[in-house]
Amino acid sequence: MTLNRRNFLKGTAITAGALVVGVTMTGCGRMPLPHRNAEDLQPSAYLQVTPDGRFILQLAKVEMGQGTLTGMATLVAEELNMPPSMIVVEHARYHPDFADPEFYAMITGGSSSLRTSFEPLREAGAMVSALLKQAAAQLHGIAATEVALIDGVLSSPKGTVPYAEAVSLARTLPRPESLTLRAPSEYRFIGKKMTRLDGEEKVTGAAQYGLDIQYPNTLTAVMVRCPHFGGSLESYDAQAALATKGVSQVLEIDGALAVVAKGYWAARQAANKIKVTWKAGPLEGVDSAALRAERHRLADSEPGKNVEERGSAELARGERFEQRYDVPLLAHATMEPPNALAVRTERGMEIWSGCQSQQFVQGMVADALGISEDQVILHNQLLGGGFGRKIVPDYIVEAAKIAQRSGAPIRLVWSREDDIRHDLYRPCATALMTATIDNGKVTSLQSKAVAPSIFGQFIPLMTQSFMPRWVPDATHSTIGGLAAPSDPSATEGLAKQPYQFDYQRADYVMQKRTAPLGYWRSVGHSQNAFFMESFIDELAHKVKKNPLDFRLGQLDEDSRYAKVLKLVADKADWGNPPAGQYQGIAVHESFRTVVAQVVNVSVEGKTIRVHKVVCAVDCGLAVNPDMVVAQMEGGIVFGLTAALKGEITLKDGAVEQSNFHDYQMLRLPESPDIEVYVLPAQDRPSGVGEPAVPPVAPALANAVFAATGQRLRELPLRLV
Amino acid sequence: MAKLGFTLNGQPLEVDVDPSMPLLWLIRDELAMTGTKFGCGLGLCGACTVHLNGSPIRSCSFPVQAAAGQAITTIEGIASDSALHPVQQAWKELNVAQCGYCQSGQIMSAVALLASQPNPSDAEIDAAMAGNICRCGTYPRIRRAIHRAASLAAVQVFDPGTGTAVQQEVV
Ligand code: FES
Ligand code: FES
Repeated sequence: MTLNRRNFLKGTAITAGALVVGVTMTGCGRMPLPHRNAEDLQPSAYLQVTPDGRFILQLAKVEMGQGTLTGMATLVAEELNMPPSMIVVEHARYHPDFADPEFYAMITGGSSSLRTSFEPLREAGAMVSALLKQAAAQLHGIAATEVALIDGVLSSPKGTVPYAEAVSLARTLPRPESLTLRAPSEYRFIGKKMTRLDGEEKVTGAAQYGLDIQYPNTLTAVMVRCPHFGGSLESYDAQAALATKGVSQVLEIDGALAVVAKGYWAARQAANKIKVTWKAGPLEGVDSAALRAERHRLADSEPGKNVEERGSAELARGERFEQRYDVPLLAHATMEPPNALAVRTERGMEIWSGCQSQQFVQGMVADALGISEDQVILHNQLLGGGFGRKIVPDYIVEAAKIAQRSGAPIRLVWSREDDIRHDLYRPCATALMTATIDNGKVTSLQSKAVAPSIFGQFIPLMTQSFMPRWVPDATHSTIGGLAAPSDPSATEGLAKQPYQFDYQRADYVMQKRTAPLGYWRSVGHSQNAFFMESFIDELAHKVKKNPLDFRLGQLDEDSRYAKVLKLVADKADWGNPPAGQYQGIAVHESFRTVVAQVVNVSVEGKTIRVHKVVCAVDCGLAVNPDMVVAQMEGGIVFGLTAALKGEITLKDGAVEQSNFHDYQMLRLPESPDIEVYVLPAQDRPSGVGEPAVPPVAPALANAVFAATGQRLRELPLRLV
Repeated sequence: MAKLGFTLNGQPLEVDVDPSMPLLWLIRDELAMTGTKFGCGLGLCGACTVHLNGSPIRSCSFPVQAAAGQAITTIEGIASDSALHPVQQAWKELNVAQCGYCQSGQIMSAVALLASQPNPSDAEIDAAMAGNICRCGTYPRIRRAIHRAASLAAVQVFDPGTGTAVQQEVV
C-alpha cells in the first residue's frame, strides 16, 4: 500500500505491454474525499460509482479550453472500458490528493494536466474496475477474472450484476495491492480521434461559465479603480451614482470603489457618474520607454546572477557579435472577463467562478475575510479562457470582500477595460545576446535577460495562502524578495537551450520597478524563444549557412529537436516557398514538449502577411490527438497575436490600452492556414497547452528577415 | 422605464425596462438567458452577437428600444426541437470550440452568413467573421466548419428521395 509510485514504476516488469503498478492513492485519512456520499464506491478522490451505476469523475484540472475535461475522462474511461462520454464529470473542490506533483498545490498550469494525471487517473479507473469485478465475482460465486466490465455493463457468465449490489459490496472490500493497467496496444480511447465531451454544450449556449450562474436576488458589482499601479484613492463623490435607479451601494474596497446595483447596466451607468481623484503612486511619471531604457542600462552595467555556465570562458574565441532584443508587457485578455458570484450563506462564503487554482481561492479568500478555509466553498465552473490569468484569484477575493461588506449575493463583473488595465501581465523584457565567431565557426553563445520577476509577486501570494495565518505580511514579501532575483522563468528557454557550442552561459538581471506580473501562456518561454531562435537565425546568416542546416549542425542528430526540425522542414517544403513568399523556421522546447514551426510570409509595404504555419510537435503520447492539434493551432494564433499586435504600454504608471480596439487580437481574415504534424509516440503525454506559442514569433521574424533583409529585434514586429 | 414588445426566438415578449439599456443586458440580466456572452461591451469582439430579423448585430451596443417590434434570435433559438442547426453540428463534429466562450457569437455570425450565402467563398467567410474574436485561436476550424455546414445544409434542403429535409453525412 505504501509503495512509491515512481520507484515502483522503474522496477516494474511489463508483461505484454500491460503495466502493473503499486497503489499509491491514499483514499483515507486527512480530509474527507470530495463529493463524498456514504452509499457510493469511492476508493480515491478522483472517481466514484453511485448505486445506480453512474461513474463520477472529479475534474481536478480545470477546463479552460485546453481539453482537460475530455482528456481526463478519456484516461479513466480507458481503464473502465467504457466510452468517455459515459463518464459524469464534476468540477472538483479542493482536496490535498489533487495537488499537482510539480507545484505541490492544486493548480492547473504549466501544461501539466495530462502529464501529471496520466498515472493517477488510470489507476483510479483500474481500482474501481478491480473492486467492482471482485464484488461481482463474490456475488456470483465465481473468479474475478470471469467478470467483465464493458461499456458500463458489469456481467459474468451468470448474468448482469446490478450496480446497487456490486457497489454496496465493493465498498467493504480491501483495496487491491497492485493494479494492472491496459497495454497501449489495447487502448480503445487513448490516442483515438473523438469529439470533445464539452463540444455540444459549447455550441448550444448551454455551457455554464462563472458569469452564467444564477442565484436569487443577486446584485451586480462593478469597480472603479485607480488606473495607476500602486496608486491610491484620494477623494470621491458618489452622490449622483447613488441617485441612479437600481443602485444600492457604493463601497470602498482596498482603495477602489465597488458600485452595487441591480444588473450590469445600472451598475456601469452609475460607476460612470462617480467623480474621483487618484494619487498616482510609486510609478508616477514612469512610462514604458523609461522602463525599457532602464533595462538597457541594467543590461550594460549589471553582471546579474549567473544561471548557467557550460564550458570554459576561454573557449569563447573569435570576433564578438552582440545584439539586443526587447519585448513589451502583454495582457491575457481571456474572452470571459474575470468575474465571480459570491454569496454569504450559513456555510460560509460560497463562490461560483472559474479559476485555475481551487486551493488559492480557499487560502486567499479565507485570509482576506478572516474565516476558516472550510468556510470558503468554491463551485468552480468552465473557464472562458485562462492562459495563466486565473491562477491568481484576485477577482474572486474582491467579489468575496464586496459580498461580505454588502450582505447581498454579489456578482462581480470586470469590464474589458478592468481586464486590460488591471491584469497580471507577461513581463516586459530585454535580452543581450552575444556570440563569438572564429573563422566561420560559432564558438560561444551567451544570453543576459533583464526583466522584472514574476516570482517576487507570486511567491508572497502562495505563502500567504499556504502558511499559518499568524505569519505577518512582511514575512511573505521578504520571502518573495529573496526568491525574485533567481526567478527561473526569466531565463527558461535561454538556459538549457539545446544547441551545442564550446562555451555557453545565461545570466539574469532583475528589474525592480514593475507593473503587476503573472503567468502568461508559456511564461518566460514566450519571450526567450524569440530571443534565442532569432539570434540563432542571425548566427546562421552570419556564418552563411542555411538556417535549418545551421541548427541541425549544432544539435545532437538523434535529439527530439532534430527530429521535429526535419519533419517540419519536410512538410513545409523548406527552401521552396510559393512565389512571392518567404520562410522562417524555429524550434523550442517548453513544458517537456518540443515544437518546430515554419512560417510562410509575404510583405507588402509595411504589412506582414502570414500565409501558412506548418508545425511539428513531439508531445509524447497524444491522449486525444485532435485536441493536441487544436492546442497547436490555438497556440500559434495566440503567438501570432503577440508577435504582430501585442503591446501593453504604461504612461504615468497606468496602462494606456483599454479594450480590443487598442489591444488587438488576430482575427479570422488574418489567420493563416495551419498544418500540424504530431510525432507518433506510445509512452506518456508531456504537455500541449502552451508549447506551440514560443516558436511562432521567432519563426515569423526569421521569415520577415528572409523577405526584407530587416532583422526585427522587438515585438510586436514593425517594419520600418 | 418603458414597455417594449418584440419576439425572442419566435415567442412574443413584453418587457418593462430602461429603453436605452443594451439588448445584451436585457437578455442576460433580466431574462437570464446566458448563451449570449459579454466580451467587450463596445461592439469590438462579437461575443454578444444575436440576430435582428435574421441579420447579426452586436447586442452589447444595441439599445433595447431599437429592437421594439422586431424579431430577435439568440443562440438558444437556432436549433430545432429535434436537431442541432447544421452550423452547430459542423462545429461539434470538427471540435471547433476550445473554451467555447466566443462560440455563441461565432455561430450566430456563421448562421447569418449561410442564410444569405449558402455556399460562401473564403473571402465571404473572412468578411462575415472578421467581427468575431476568438482568443483561443479556433479560426482555422471555424473556416472549415462553415464550409462543412454549407454542405450539411445543402443536403438538408435537397433530399430528392423523400422531398423532406433530412440530416445526412456528406464527405
Ligand atoms: S461584447 Fe458585444 S461586441 Fe464584444
Ligand atoms: S473558443 Fe475560447 S475564445 Fe473562442
